[in-house]
Amino acid sequence: MTENRRLYVLTAVALGGMLVAAGMIFLYAPQDALQGPVQRIFYLHVSSAIAAYACFALVVAGGVAYLWKGSLRSDRLARAAAAVGLVFTTNAFVMGMIWAKPIWNWDPSKTWDARVTSTAVLWVVYAGYLLVRRFATPGRQAMRLAAVVGIVGFADVPIVHFSVQWWRTLHPGRVIDAPGGPALPPEMLLAFMVTMLAVLLLAGTLVAVRYRIEARRDALEERAVAAQLKLAASPGSR
Amino acid sequence: MALAVARKDLRGELRGRELLPALAQFVVLALIIANFAFDLDLVSGPRLSPGILWLVLVFAGLVAFGRAFATEKESGSLEAMLLTPAGPASIFAGKALASAALLVACEAVLLPSMAVFLGSPISVAVVATVLLATGGMATLGCLFAALAAQTRARELLLPVLALPIWVPFVVVGGRAVQAAMTGQSLAALPLSGQPLVILADFDILFLVVASLAARFVLDD
Repeated sequence: MTENRRLYVLTAVALGGMLVAAGMIFLYAPQDALQGPVQRIFYLHVSSAIAAYACFALVVAGGVAYLWKGSLRSDRLARAAAAVGLVFTTNAFVMGMIWAKPIWNWDPSKTWDARVTSTAVLWVVYAGYLLVRRFATPGRQAMRLAAVVGIVGFADVPIVHFSVQWWRTLHPGRVIDAPGGPALPPEMLLAFMVTMLAVLLLAGTLVAVRYRIEARRDALEERAVAAQLKLAASPGSR
Repeated sequence: MALAVARKDLRGELRGRELLPALAQFVVLALIIANFAFDLDLVSGPRLSPGILWLVLVFAGLVAFGRAFATEKESGSLEAMLLTPAGPASIFAGKALASAALLVACEAVLLPSMAVFLGSPISVAVVATVLLATGGMATLGCLFAALAAQTRARELLLPVLALPIWVPFVVVGGRAVQAAMTGQSLAALPLSGQPLVILADFDILFLVVASLAARFVLDD
């Protein structure tokens, strides 16, 4: 199977997973007694946030591997994951806003809680990460500088989180991993698990596609350089 | 080694007197703008002054840290410095030390001017908070300044990279200054209790992170 065909299959599976998740969210999961239908955002909102964190963890892993071994592949993985992570962070944000409009009613003292602030910082850090890639001299320098930004930025996130939490926070507390078992009815938990797996699969697919694009782009550049070298070496050219 | 680098930078600044007068002017001008922009009076002045303090400090810091590596880059002397036995980590530490000293000098203008223009109460707690935050901001700011100086758009990248990473200092420091300026004792703050201890923890943590990262940023 060619690599492209494999990506098509992966994409189809991920799409199917998302459809199943949609069915679970809207048809299977029960209505929340207090929040009503708005609560159904939770499944995709939390899953997107988890997928975003997973992507950024990949950026860190790729960055560490690059600084350690200097392999181009780990940098390419970090590059691909950063873009996808940014998309999922944006997604989690927009869904959080839609949920927060009726529930928190845009009270600024509520909207700047620990999790929102640290996620906002995460978003800005990785937007900066992509900017560094754009403005640094392409090649090894861009990879090295970007890896540093990716790692230091990720280390900052828990610190932002805790510094706001100690200050004040209103985000819904731990639900899934609450002490003493999940504080969710089993149907909701199942719907959430299915959605999370589907979203993680989707994120993985996007990273794979993005990785493929970056690999093609790198190959193109290599060919251009090789062609120029050949031209310079051929007799009759100056 | 780091001290030698810091001494070199500060001596250059003392002889040239370029950055410090500009920063002092910037601070005073920022306060004047804040005064008119917020339409300050006796009630709103003390209430808004912690926020104004942090805004001015953060932006003055961006200017100070940005120059630390930009001047070396412009004269092409960073490569020469890397050839000395100093090593990336101590060059970086020296730069951070020198620019922290510059920012402290800047604060020596900022805090008294705030007391004069805005009537902000300046106490020992305020000074201690600001100094502790300066240390951590300087370490992180210099790390990203060194990074940004190697790219095409350093003036653009430094704020984008440094501001989000400084958020913890502004969160904790902002709360501490607010409490200190309204006459609360810092020990009465929820949990944190000791914002100064937390700020010192951040300083140490980021000093370790930044000195580990310095090798990869400066090493070319």
